[in-house]
Amino acid sequence: MKLINHLILRITVGFTVVMLFWGAVYFFLQMKEIHDGNDEGLTNLKQEFIAKANAVGGFVENMERETPLNLIVKEISREEAEKMVENFSTTTVYFATELEKEEVRMLTTAFRCEQNGKFFQLQFFTSTVESDDLIKNMLYLLLGLWVTLSLTIIIISKIIIFRANKPFYELLDKLKNFRLDTNKIFDFPQTEIKEYAQLNRSVEELLKKNIDIFTEQKQFIENTSHELQTPLAIVIAKLEMLLEKYQNNEYLSTEIAAALNTLNRMKRLNSNLLLLSKIKNNLFTDIAEVDLQRVLEGVVADFEEIIACKNITVVSTYSISATVRMNRDLAHILLTNLVKNAVAHNRTGGQIIISGKANSITIANSGTTAATNVFSRYQRDANDENSSGLGLSIVKSIADLYPVDINYHFENGLHIFKITF
Amino acid sequence: MKILIIEDEPALMRTMEEFLLQEKYVVEKASNYGAAVEKALMYDYDCILLDISLPGGSGLKILDEMKREGKAGNVIIVSAKNSLDDKILGLNLGADDYLCKPFHLSELHARIKAVLRRKQTDGKDILTFGNSAVNFKERQLTVNCEPLKLNRKEFDMLLFFVTNKNRLISKEALAEHVWGDNIDLADNFDFVYSQVKNLRKKLKECGSDIVVGNVYGIGYKLVI
Repeated sequence: MKLINHLILRITVGFTVVMLFWGAVYFFLQMKEIHDGNDEGLTNLKQEFIAKANAVGGFVENMERETPLNLIVKEISREEAEKMVENFSTTTVYFATELEKEEVRMLTTAFRCEQNGKFFQLQFFTSTVESDDLIKNMLYLLLGLWVTLSLTIIIISKIIIFRANKPFYELLDKLKNFRLDTNKIFDFPQTEIKEYAQLNRSVEELLKKNIDIFTEQKQFIENTSHELQTPLAIVIAKLEMLLEKYQNNEYLSTEIAAALNTLNRMKRLNSNLLLLSKIKNNLFTDIAEVDLQRVLEGVVADFEEIIACKNITVVSTYSISATVRMNRDLAHILLTNLVKNAVAHNRTGGQIIISGKANSITIANSGTTAATNVFSRYQRDANDENSSGLGLSIVKSIADLYPVDINYHFENGLHIFKITF
Repeated sequence: MKILIIEDEPALMRTMEEFLLQEKYVVEKASNYGAAVEKALMYDYDCILLDISLPGGSGLKILDEMKREGKAGNVIIVSAKNSLDDKILGLNLGADDYLCKPFHLSELHARIKAVLRRKQTDGKDILTFGNSAVNFKERQLTVNCEPLKLNRKEFDMLLFFVTNKNRLISKEALAEHVWGDNIDLADNFDFVYSQVKNLRKKLKECGSDIVVGNVYGIGYKLVI
């Protein structure tokens, strides 16, 4: 749920509860006020009635007989009169004129007429506000008020909250598109709100720190592999001198050759690592229109002897050649690594099937089982101790630099790599 | 032949020196920027091996100085930086070649020979081995005055053998020289073996005196 809706929903719910409570309180206070007014009138009426009844003979009987509109007089016994407590009540009385029962406020009391010493029950009543109607009207009013206020709140909140939060949403948007490896921090949205300014500053600091760490990390890998080149050069040169010197000593020459072999592996590993970090550090900036199919044909030709030696059949079908805007050297490295992979992980007498289309190139080679995580670093065949395990991750890093997509799947005994551009 | 090694790493300097002395070169050394500039500008060398990162200044600056003094040429940059920009910059400043560390000594030797050969402008660029002659410029081998047809890679291999004659050449060095850095299929140097076999067969069929010897498990050696 969006922050703005979250806030509005909660404001509206809280607001409704307050409105309902306030409505109820208002209703009871209003009713009480009305009843108080009525009750006072009824009490006055009663006092006037009693005064008259005590002064004028036959007044009560008259009234009992005539039944005026707002009074019911009934003779009762002394015991009943003594038990009776004066009270006010809200009840209904049938009005012949209106053909229905109406809500009335009623004062019920007993009195002894001094004229004849008889006891009477007196019921004075007066029409009052019908609570049903009042409730109904109040509900309508409240509902109207509620709708109006809610709408006002929603609209105002939307405008105010949205405006006030604009820098926040802008920041979110920019963070979403932020990439650590671009090394560039975006411009922060302008804001006069203190908290957002603070947020901007904190985010900026955090990003700067992360970029620094990231750059340092990248630089570290590059520098390390770079620094390793000279010691490697020394060891390799020295061992080659020794090999030359002791070539007639079978034991020494074999051992030195084995050491050299390992060093050569290390050399390749190191140069691949260096290449990988150079790609990630975006050091290949020259971009040109590269015809991948032409490059691929050249790469396959480079591998001609190895392919022949492994007795591998290469089947190539090219349709229209297409160009991709990328670095020429990287294009070459990308395809070399893929072809190298197709040769290395092939069996003797296997196949390499290359097909070039307008916007994709597929390189497939014979294999036995599907491989997993092919593009991860140092992911390699257990029995392939000489592979650096970096070839395909170099491929992936290069593809990531450009709008080039590379994916792998295994189908019908073929490892299939597809480059889409 | 006089060679100047400009290199700040003493161990590598010693090994390179030893190697070049074995190959009968006269070797001079400089291990920092100042000494290097002084020597490079004062004397004439047949070849200069130049490291780029030096204490006191960049090797590229030395090239620049040399170019200004009209002494450019015959320089092989030997750098740990496999950077394309440096390579292009170096070659533009008049370097003849660019070799990345780490390198095989046989590769270094082949590069030096190539530079020296380019420098020899006095016509013939032909090495003779008994009845066989290798013409570097024409990229042709003649046996008993009859040209022998070799494909590009066979000829590259032959050149590598001939340049490094009497030296042990490892399969790795040969493969890297002929097929480039990208052919790092270390598990499979069988193809090198079959390629050398083809070359040997061709040489043998026409009775050439060039014989590529086998050093079991390690590589090859051309013995004259």
